[in-house]
Amino acid sequence: MKFKLNVVTLALIANAGFAIPGMALADGYGIQNANTEKVKFDKWACKRCKIETGVNGTIGAGVGYNDSDDIRSANAFAAENEFVGKVDADVSYISESGYRASIEAQNLGMENGRLDLESGKVGQHKLSLNYRQIATYKTDKAMSPYQGVGGDHLTLPDNWQTAGSSQDMSELYSSLNPLELSLKRKRAGIGFEYQGEELWSTYVNYQREDKTGLKQASGSFFNQSMMLAEPVDYTTDTVEAGIKLKGDNWFTALAYSGSSFKNQYSQLTFDNAFNPTFGAQTQGTMALDPDNEAHTVSLMGQYTAGSTIMSGRVHYGQMSQDQALVTSGYGYQTPVDALDAKVDMKGANLKVVSRINRTVRVNASYDYSDRDNKTNVEEWTQISINSTTGKVAYNTPYDFTTQRAKLGADFRLSRGMKLEAGYDFRRDERSYQDRETTDENTLWTKFRLSAFDNWDMWIKGSYGERDGSEYQASEWTSSESNSLLRKYNLADRQRTMVEARISHTPVDALTIDFGGRYALDDYNETQIGLTESQDISYDISASYLINDDMMVNAFYNRQNIDSEQAGSNNFGAPNWFGLVEDQVDVIGAGFSYNNLLEKKLRLGVDYTYSDSSSNTQVQQGLSGDYGDYYAKVHNVNVYGQYQATDKMALRLDYKMEKYKDNDPGNSIAPDGIWNLVGFGYNSHDYNAHLIMLSMSYKL
Amino acid sequence: MKITNKFNSLFPAVMAAALLSLGISQGAVASKWDAKMTPDEVEATLDKKFAEGQYSPKGADSCLMCHGKSEKVMDLFKGVHGAADSSKSPMAGLQCEACHGPMGKHNRGGKEPMIAFGPDSTLSAEKQNSVCMSCHKDDKRMAWNGGHHDNADVACASCHSVHTDKDPVLSKNTEMEICTSCHTKQKADMNKRSSHPMKWAQMVCSDCHNPHGTLSDSDLVKPSVNDTCYECHAEKRGPKLWEHAPVTENCVTCHNPHGSVNEGMLKTRAPQLCQQCHASDGHASNAYMGNTDQGSSVGGNAFTGGRSCLNCHNQIHGSNHPSGKLFQR
Repeated sequence: MKFKLNVVTLALIANAGFAIPGMALADGYGIQNANTEKVKFDKWACKRCKIETGVNGTIGAGVGYNDSDDIRSANAFAAENEFVGKVDADVSYISESGYRASIEAQNLGMENGRLDLESGKVGQHKLSLNYRQIATYKTDKAMSPYQGVGGDHLTLPDNWQTAGSSQDMSELYSSLNPLELSLKRKRAGIGFEYQGEELWSTYVNYQREDKTGLKQASGSFFNQSMMLAEPVDYTTDTVEAGIKLKGDNWFTALAYSGSSFKNQYSQLTFDNAFNPTFGAQTQGTMALDPDNEAHTVSLMGQYTAGSTIMSGRVHYGQMSQDQALVTSGYGYQTPVDALDAKVDMKGANLKVVSRINRTVRVNASYDYSDRDNKTNVEEWTQISINSTTGKVAYNTPYDFTTQRAKLGADFRLSRGMKLEAGYDFRRDERSYQDRETTDENTLWTKFRLSAFDNWDMWIKGSYGERDGSEYQASEWTSSESNSLLRKYNLADRQRTMVEARISHTPVDALTIDFGGRYALDDYNETQIGLTESQDISYDISASYLINDDMMVNAFYNRQNIDSEQAGSNNFGAPNWFGLVEDQVDVIGAGFSYNNLLEKKLRLGVDYTYSDSSSNTQVQQGLSGDYGDYYAKVHNVNVYGQYQATDKMALRLDYKMEKYKDNDPGNSIAPDGIWNLVGFGYNSHDYNAHLIMLSMSYKL
Repeated sequence: MKITNKFNSLFPAVMAAALLSLGISQGAVASKWDAKMTPDEVEATLDKKFAEGQYSPKGADSCLMCHGKSEKVMDLFKGVHGAADSSKSPMAGLQCEACHGPMGKHNRGGKEPMIAFGPDSTLSAEKQNSVCMSCHKDDKRMAWNGGHHDNADVACASCHSVHTDKDPVLSKNTEMEICTSCHTKQKADMNKRSSHPMKWAQMVCSDCHNPHGTLSDSDLVKPSVNDTCYECHAEKRGPKLWEHAPVTENCVTCHNPHGSVNEGMLKTRAPQLCQQCHASDGHASNAYMGNTDQGSSVGGNAFTGGRSCLNCHNQIHGSNHPSGKLFQR
């Protein structure tokens, strides 16, 4: 229910302000401001407070049948095999003494299973254990002639015949085996939290994640390349610990966060499928991601002085890596055996928000962050990959410093009318790059109107300009770069954005939302590189409560992103132009019907459809395109839940995914490109179904 | 966007889905006093009552004389806010009135306003939140004031419920629905060709963002974009011998973590993406036309087919090989 502000109410507010001297209106109703002088706590027995002790909650189990001929459907269904089973639980226990414990299990046994256990006393201590699995699937039909997949040494069959072109590799087709590109993370953690009687609390959390699977990689010699399955066997340990202190109007915390990454494999060695060229290499080795560590200590605090709140944080961290360098097949001296790479990370943030009066609130913030790469610069001989001799190169440990300042204010012009405006400044300083400094200035404003009954709307707009120091395109590049090139993350840019949303509730049961957004990045000084990018989107959604039991909702979104770029193949003025047009449509709809069959049955259906497509065109005299590049997916979930007895409920789910994608750049045979041994046709076109019957039992 | 009305319609659905068997009653009813008083009058009365401190004679027992019949009210005792045995719970202090303010004359027919929360409260979000924030002051909420949701007048009770044993927004499955009811662009993003696994709630918004605000950009949980990404992608952290400058500076220079029409959440496909920054003399400067009527095709050469530039420059996130300057090994 909404009321328009009138003169009478304004007067009333003003009077109220005067009537309560010494009370700052903006402070609100915080517990520490409560006037408890007159409370007779000895009479507050809380006899009617009914805290149920014992065990309650639900446990459940389900079995399902999965019909799919493409592993990609496991992203949606979390099921790899034909038959799946799962356990769910949501059980809590409260003892007479106030001890609490809970078990939450979701889809345990499936590929997205989760388990959380907690126990402790509210406001005193808590011990938690958790487990979570995240799995992502790309394909199970990548074809490769390599043996030893899953390990770090990929070999070709003994009878392999190298050739100058993949089409001439006589043993290619007879050697192909399918492999699955998927990655699985298993995370287990333990945490403990302790709260002192007053002021302080402390916590420590530890987590180990194992990530395993295969990912796509490529190994190359000169201009010939083979797709490879890179083994992933990572272990990451994370520790977070801290101590917090707080009082009535202040808060401070000291926190430590540490992470250690270990890769089971430091390198990947692979046979050359082609006839050896320069350097006569029959085997190649690439360095895989090295073991590393990162540690950060941060100190943060907040202080409230009346209607002004100040918050700040300083942090210092270091990332380091000291793994022995890969030397197999390298053939030159390395200046050091291991890099001893170190990056210092420093940051400081300060933010002040202050309510000046009922109408005006101002905020200001300053952020500083610095990445200082302290790794030594050394001389590294590069293996010759073409007919020129091996050259010496120096590593470029990048430093970055970013400073940002923001100033803003919001004005409550009246109830249901709010105006915000602000100015943001950003300066980035970089080492070893085409441009040392970039500065960006942005102005923005937002107006929200909710004063009219059943309507709520806002509009936001911003305009920013980025420029900076002199641009030197070839300063640090290994080969001469076109001097007209402006890398888009360093280039001058004019950025415009307008966004608006309207929400209308004609009747309580119906809500309609509409929103639109327009954004333009104009790289106004760029001749070669990305010159313009435009992003337009709108969406509409509605939800309607047909009656107490039936609800329907629908959603539609359209987005178009157009990017223009230019290049030059004669090292001069732009003479070719690229246009990439992305278009995305997303449709969603849902319907649910509750309380059927004497309030025992609930039925529902959810549907989504999305169509992502992209059209790339390049023009240089004649014009070409990159073909039909799209992904279309329909998802349906129909479910029915039946409360068979007071305690037991049955649920039947039917899930369907119809997926089709295409990328003409990858719709090719393993030998489709003469200087490439590929994974073969990698597009998807499938229809997958999952039926799951589950039951839950209320304890 | 009208948060209150959206949640009014969304919440029953979400709650019903999550807690059907628990029989949570649907829909709140606007308070009695709203029929006779304007929101400003309500607020002024509440300010006055709060300052006067006329608390009830018997605390919760006074309130539950009338409100004890409501299942929703009594559900408070299932959750931590009703834990009378904890010294930090409101039940150990001013009990119901810790949050709803002093009773005053409210017990005489319920016409005098109390501090009300949620979709049907006419009280400003800032005032509602002042109650919650007075206890919930910690490192995860220290940037609330002036933050994204605070500026958008989102009340704590727009997303959270305390009169329940389990707050639905804290469940990973319902979190996505609640966030995307306002963040529609992100809802569309996660349905694109590639995205983080959010569509099926394997990942959730709060894995990367803190809805209560942080001192970082986009309310990220770590100080920077890259630090946030490294939480799960520690292998990209390095530092490696040969760094690719935009990789070490900012992952979102090339990726859109919410989703993209391209594989790998890339903003643009290769070779176009690479050619937006690389125009050295040689193959990086050539126009790669794709399919033309002159006979060339996008899948016919290694510059556009297969993995395009990555066919050779595989180590695009950096290389630790002594000879890895061009990210080939």
